[in-house]
Amino acid sequence: MNGILNWILWLPVIGMVAVILTPKAKENAIRMVTLATTTVTLALSVILYLKFDTTTADMQFVVKFPWIEQFHINYFLGIDGITMLMTFLNALLFFICTLSSWTVEKNVKAYFALLLMLQSTVFGVFFALDFFLFYVYWEVMLLPMFFLIGIWGGENREYAAIKFFLYTFFGSIFMLVGIIALYYATGKGVDSFNIIALQGGKFTELTVDLFGQTLSFETLFFWFMFLGFAIKVPVFPFHTWLPHAHVQAPTAVSVILAGVLLKMGTYGFLRIAFPIFPQAAVESSTIIAVLGLISVIYGAFCAMAQDDVKKLVAYSSVSHMGFVMLGLAAMTTQGMNGAVLQMFNHGTSTAMMFLLIGILYERSHHRWIVKPDGSKGYGGLSTKLPKYTTVFIIGMFASLGLPGLSGFISEALIFLGIYQRFTTITVIAVVGLLIGAAYLLWMFKRMFFGEVNPETEEYEDMNAREVFYMIPLCVCVIVFGIFPSPLLNVMKASVGQLVDLLSKF
Amino acid sequence: MIDQLLGFVTYYWPEMITIVLMMTLLVAEATVKDEHAPRTKIHVYTQFMLGLVLVNLFLNLGEKPLHIFHNAVTIDPFSTLIKIIMTAGTMGAIFLSHSSRDIYTNLKSEFSVMAVGVLIGGMLLASANNMLTLYLGIETLSILSYVLSSFKRDEATSTEAGMKYALYGGLSAGVALFGMSHLYGVFGSIQFVEMIDKIPGLAGLNLAIVIVSFLMFFVGIGYKISAFPFHMWTPDVYQGSPIPVTAFFAIVPKMAGVAALVRVSFVFFQEGSALTVTWTGLILVIAAMTMTVGNVTAIGQSSVKRLLAFSSIGHVGMMILGVVVMNEAGVQAILFYGIAYLFMTLIAFYITSCLSDMYGTDSYDVFRGLVYKHPLMAIIMAGVLFSLAGMPPFSGFVAKFNIFSVIIEKKHYGIALVAAINSVIALYYYVKLAKTMIFSEADGEERVLSFTTANQIVIVALFIPVLFLGIFWDSAMALAGNAQLFIK
Repeated sequence: MNGILNWILWLPVIGMVAVILTPKAKENAIRMVTLATTTVTLALSVILYLKFDTTTADMQFVVKFPWIEQFHINYFLGIDGITMLMTFLNALLFFICTLSSWTVEKNVKAYFALLLMLQSTVFGVFFALDFFLFYVYWEVMLLPMFFLIGIWGGENREYAAIKFFLYTFFGSIFMLVGIIALYYATGKGVDSFNIIALQGGKFTELTVDLFGQTLSFETLFFWFMFLGFAIKVPVFPFHTWLPHAHVQAPTAVSVILAGVLLKMGTYGFLRIAFPIFPQAAVESSTIIAVLGLISVIYGAFCAMAQDDVKKLVAYSSVSHMGFVMLGLAAMTTQGMNGAVLQMFNHGTSTAMMFLLIGILYERSHHRWIVKPDGSKGYGGLSTKLPKYTTVFIIGMFASLGLPGLSGFISEALIFLGIYQRFTTITVIAVVGLLIGAAYLLWMFKRMFFGEVNPETEEYEDMNAREVFYMIPLCVCVIVFGIFPSPLLNVMKASVGQLVDLLSKF
Repeated sequence: MIDQLLGFVTYYWPEMITIVLMMTLLVAEATVKDEHAPRTKIHVYTQFMLGLVLVNLFLNLGEKPLHIFHNAVTIDPFSTLIKIIMTAGTMGAIFLSHSSRDIYTNLKSEFSVMAVGVLIGGMLLASANNMLTLYLGIETLSILSYVLSSFKRDEATSTEAGMKYALYGGLSAGVALFGMSHLYGVFGSIQFVEMIDKIPGLAGLNLAIVIVSFLMFFVGIGYKISAFPFHMWTPDVYQGSPIPVTAFFAIVPKMAGVAALVRVSFVFFQEGSALTVTWTGLILVIAAMTMTVGNVTAIGQSSVKRLLAFSSIGHVGMMILGVVVMNEAGVQAILFYGIAYLFMTLIAFYITSCLSDMYGTDSYDVFRGLVYKHPLMAIIMAGVLFSLAGMPPFSGFVAKFNIFSVIIEKKHYGIALVAAINSVIALYYYVKLAKTMIFSEADGEERVLSFTTANQIVIVALFIPVLFLGIFWDSAMALAGNAQLFIK
C-alpha cells in the first residue's frame, strides 16, 4: 500500500509519455489515453480515501528515498487529512477536465500531454514533504500552465501567460531564499529539508541582519514565505494576475487554476508558513485577516462591475479565497476546519461555474453579459436551455453559500471561527457574502431571465457528455452541503494538530 | 634538473597536446590546395586531438595536486576541471564553426587554430601560479581573441568588434600589468607561494599600495569576464563576431577569467587577512552590479546574440558570487555553475546559429513560430531558456540553488535578495523569447534546413546533461566538490 502515492504521482507522467508516443493524427486515441489515465488516477485516489486512517494526524503512505545526499535532500512523499482532500479534488477535476476538453481542436497531442504533466506536478506539490522537492514541483508546475494559457488561450493570452509566470516566479524566488535559510538555520542536518521536522516553532530565537537591520529570523522568513503563497492564493494586493490568467485561459485550464492551483497557496500556509513559523503567524494574524477581508470585499465589488462573465467568476474566486484566508487567520478549530472545507468546496463550485461558462462559450463564442456596445450578450437562456439552467443554478447557489449546498457550511464555519478573534472583521466580512449574492443573482437575472435574445435562439442544450461530467460536481456540492462529515472527519486530526501548535504561541 | 623538468611534463600532457595540435593545424591548413574545400578531415583531426586532451584531463583529475616548473604552474583538480570545461567549450565552438555559414569555408581551419590558441591561453591562466604565468595567460588569450572577433573581414561590424576588443583589451591588460609591477615592488617576488607568506606582515604605505595594485589587477580580470564596469565591450564584440566565435567567447575566456579570479582571491585573501574584507566587499558589489546591469540591459535587446551576450554578463555576476564566501563550497558552486553554463550556452548558440544561417539574421523574428516548423528544436530551446532563467527541473536551477546556498550560509541575505530579483528580471527576457518561439504563429511553413541531422544529434546530446544535471546532480556536485584549489 505504501507505493500508492508513487503511482498517483507518476501515472499521469506515464500517460503523458503514452500521449507523446501516440501518432499526432490519432486524436481520439490521444483523448482516450488521457481519459484512461485520469480515470485510473481518480480510482486510486478513491482507494486512498478508503484506506486513509482518520484517527491520526501523522503523515500516511510515506515514501522516502535519498535523492541528493550531500544536502540531505530526499524524495519524500506523504499525505495527511488536508492533502487527502486536495488529492481527491485534483484527481476529480482533471478527470472532468479531460472530458470537457474533448472539443479542443488545436494541437490535441501537446494539449493533453501538458494537461497530464500539470496533474502530476500538482500532485507533487501536495505530496512533497521535502522542502526542496516541494519547491521543484511548485516551480515545474508553472511550465505546463504557461504553455496551456499561452497556446490555447484567448486573444490576449501571451500577456496573461507571462504575467502569471512572472508573478508566481517572483513570489517563489523569495521562498527559495527562505528554504535555504532554513536549511542552514537547522545546521545542515539530515532533517534540514524535512518539512515535518522543521515544524513546531524551532526558530523563534534566531535573528537576521539584513541591510544593517537586526530582524527576527522567524518574522522575516515568514513574510518571505507569505509572499510566495499569497501571490498564489491570490490575496489582495497580489491578485492582479488572476483575472487575466482566467479570462485568457481555456476552460479546462481555468477550472484547474481556480479549482486546485489557488489552493496550493492556502495549502502552503497550512503546511509550511504557519507550522514552521507559528509565532510569526500568530503575530501577523491580524494583517492576514485584514488582507483576507480586503480580498473578500474588493473581489466582490470587482466581480459586480464586470461585464465579462468569466472575469466575474474570476473575481469571485478572489473573494472566496479571501474567506479561506479569514479562516486561516482565525487560528481556531472552526476557522481552520472551515478554511480547509472552503478550499474543497470552492474547488468544486467554482469548477462548475467555469465549466458552465465554457459550455456556453462553445455556443456563443463570447462571454459578455453586456456587450461593449451596450446590447445584451445573453437573455432568457432559461427558456431555451432548461438542463443548462438547472446545473447553473446549483453551481451558482453553491458559490454564493445557500444553506443546503456546500458553500454555506464552510463559510458558516469560517465565520464561527473568526468571530472568536476578530469581531469587527467578521461583521464586515458578512457584507462580502451579501455582495456575493448580489452580483451572482444580478448576473443570473441578466443572462437567464427576461426577453429571449434572438442571438441565443439557436443554442443547443447540454449534450450527454456535458451532463455526464457535471454530475459528479453537482453530487459533490449537494451531498457535502447536507452531509459534510466525510470531509470534516478526514481533516479533523490534521487541522486539530495545527490549531494546537498555534495555540501555544 | 632536466630529469625533473621531464618528470613535470607527465602532468602537462593536455597542454602539450594542445600546443602540438595548434602547430599541426597551421601546417595542415597550408596543405589545403582548394581554397573552398570543406576541410572535413582537418575538423575530425582537431576534434580527435581535443578529445585526447579531455581524456588526459580526466586522468589528471584524480592526481595529487602539485606545483610544477618551479612553482610557475599549479596542477590541481580545480584547474583541471576548469580546463575540462574550456576544452569541451572549444570542441563545441569548433564543431559549430564547421557547420556555420558565419565562418567562411576558407577560414574554418584558421578558426580552429585561433580557438585552440585561446584554449592554451586559458589553460595557462587556469593553472597560473605566479604573476608572470598569469599575465602570459591573459595575453595569449586576448591577442588571439582580437583576431577571432574580426573574423568576418568584409563586415564593418566584425572589424569594429575586433578593434574595440583590442583597444579595451590592450588598455586593461596594461593597467593589470602596471598593478602587477607594483605588487612585485612590494613583495619582491612574483611567485604566489612566496607572496602569501608576506601578506600578514604588510602595513602602512605598503598595504595601501597593495590594495591599489590589486584594484588595477582586477581591471585585467574583470575585463576578461566582462564584469561591471568593464563590460562595455561585450555587446558590440559579441554582436560583431560570427556566432561560433560568440559562443566561444561566452565560455572559454570567461571560465578562464573566473578561474584566475578564484585563484587570486584564494591565494591572497584567505580568511582572516586584513585585506579579505575589502576584496570580498569589492567582489560582492561588482557581482551585484554585473548581474543587474547585464539582466536589465538584456530586456531591451532585439538581437538574440546580443541578448545572450547580456545574459552571459548576468551569469558571470552570479558565478562570481561564489568567490565572495571564500570557502570550498563556494568553489564547488562556481564549478557546478560552470558545467551547467557550458551546456546551456552551447545549445542556445547552436540553435541561434542554425536559424541565423537560414534567415541571415539573428533577430527575434527568426524564432517566430519555431515550434510549428521544428517542434523538437523549439522545445529544447525553450528548455534551455528556462534553464538559463533558473527553473527546475533543469541544471540552471541547481546552479542557481548552489550559489544561493553558499551566500546564504554566510548570511549575505541582502545580496541573496538582489540575486533573487535578478533572476525574475532574467526570466522575463528568456520567457519573451520562449513566447516568440511557441505562442506566435509561424510566418511560413518552410522547414529550417540548417537543422541537419548531425546538428540535431549534437543539440539533443548536449541537452541531456541540461536535464540530467537538474535532477541527478549528486555526482556532478561531488566532482565539483573534489576539485578544490591547491595553494601551498
